[in-house]
Amino acid sequence: MSNGHEPWREHGEIYALGALDGQELKEFEAHLASGCAICEAYVRETRETLAVLHRSLRPEAPPLAIKSRILDQIAPQAIAGPRQEKPSWLNWNWLGLGIGAVATAAVALVLTSNLTRTQSELEKAKAQLAAAQIESAQKDELLQLLSSQDVRLVELKGLEAAPAARARLFWNPGARSGILLINGLSKTPPDKAYELWGIVGTEPFPAGVFRVDDQGQARFRMPVLGEGKNFDKFAVTLEPAAGVEKPSGPMVLLGSL
Amino acid sequence: MSAQSLSEGVYLIQQVANQDREAFGQLYDRFSTLVFTLAMRMLKARSDAEDLLQEVFVQVWRQAQSYSAERGSPEAWIVNIARSRAIDKIRSIRRRERSLVLTDDPSRAESSDNVESSAAESETRLAMNSALANLPEAQRKVLELAYFAGLTQTEIATRLAEPLGTVKTRMRSGIQRLREMLGTQAV
Repeated sequence: MSNGHEPWREHGEIYALGALDGQELKEFEAHLASGCAICEAYVRETRETLAVLHRSLRPEAPPLAIKSRILDQIAPQAIAGPRQEKPSWLNWNWLGLGIGAVATAAVALVLTSNLTRTQSELEKAKAQLAAAQIESAQKDELLQLLSSQDVRLVELKGLEAAPAARARLFWNPGARSGILLINGLSKTPPDKAYELWGIVGTEPFPAGVFRVDDQGQARFRMPVLGEGKNFDKFAVTLEPAAGVEKPSGPMVLLGSL
Repeated sequence: MSAQSLSEGVYLIQQVANQDREAFGQLYDRFSTLVFTLAMRMLKARSDAEDLLQEVFVQVWRQAQSYSAERGSPEAWIVNIARSRAIDKIRSIRRRERSLVLTDDPSRAESSDNVESSAAESETRLAMNSALANLPEAQRKVLELAYFAGLTQTEIATRLAEPLGTVKTRMRSGIQRLREMLGTQAV
């Protein structure tokens, strides 16, 4: 969001929370009504972030009777009306059929061209929707993992090889998995990969390889690890692209539980 | 929730938009516990929560055509409907209570305090939640008062006897910290 939008951004966060009021609320609603796609997206994204609040509540199932009460209340399915008689002009005679065939061919040609274009647009829209759904599902998965009461937060700090690097690992010991968020690490060289390690005492166990983008960021969803080890530390090293069984490269991040 | 089950949610809403009652039943089965849990937390009274659940799903039935996957997940859409309705109810109750408190009705004045005690109970449970537990207490409190108790920024400032600017800063810092922890990017 650009700097010119900063005041709207402030309002957008509090609006998404439902707490904006008074003149600020009126102004922001008018701004949204003007069709600002940036603010609309920002409010939507903030609401998705705030979902962690209601997901932290202990689930409580509603009484079964409510479902039938609601089904009774909603309108019954529309019943199809009586079948309509064909209009008389559709009862073609042979002459009409001949003219109609020519006209149909011409229309079909135009429609085929339009249909091809429409199908292409439809496919594009479907692909965009699928991508958005996958992204939402990933956020959803992240929220679900973070909502577990077992999750532990591990702060990893950059070592001498990468002093500006910082990372947060959300480690779920019960699920034997977690999510690592990284900032400030160098982009992964082409033939290399960063590798995460769970450490017990001084013994490291591989916990997956990942790459860092041009901005020095990465979000890495750990694979589900085998049973057993209660890690007390986590570290990241730079290794060959396929990963290794024991660390061999420089350690760039380290953090303790 | 997998990508597949998420798209199932989108698909169900699209079917509901076509007045498909069976799809509506499946959508209800999927989201009713979430809505009821939120309603219980916000409204406290079971009968109010049940009414809200009914109102929300009737609105989902009537407005399914207005849903667009590009504007948010099915859960976010349904939760937004539920929160908006719950906040309307809370504010309506609060207006009534305010007028009754002005006439020195002690029972109503007491029920206003219950909002605080329930919030405190919830805070204890929320403190067990990892993402929220990592928020400073002051930030979590303002987010909770807004999200669950339906208080506006001005009302929160009054209740906490803090300057409005402080409340806004705490809200924004809390959201920002959640965003960092969840790895969600601001637009």
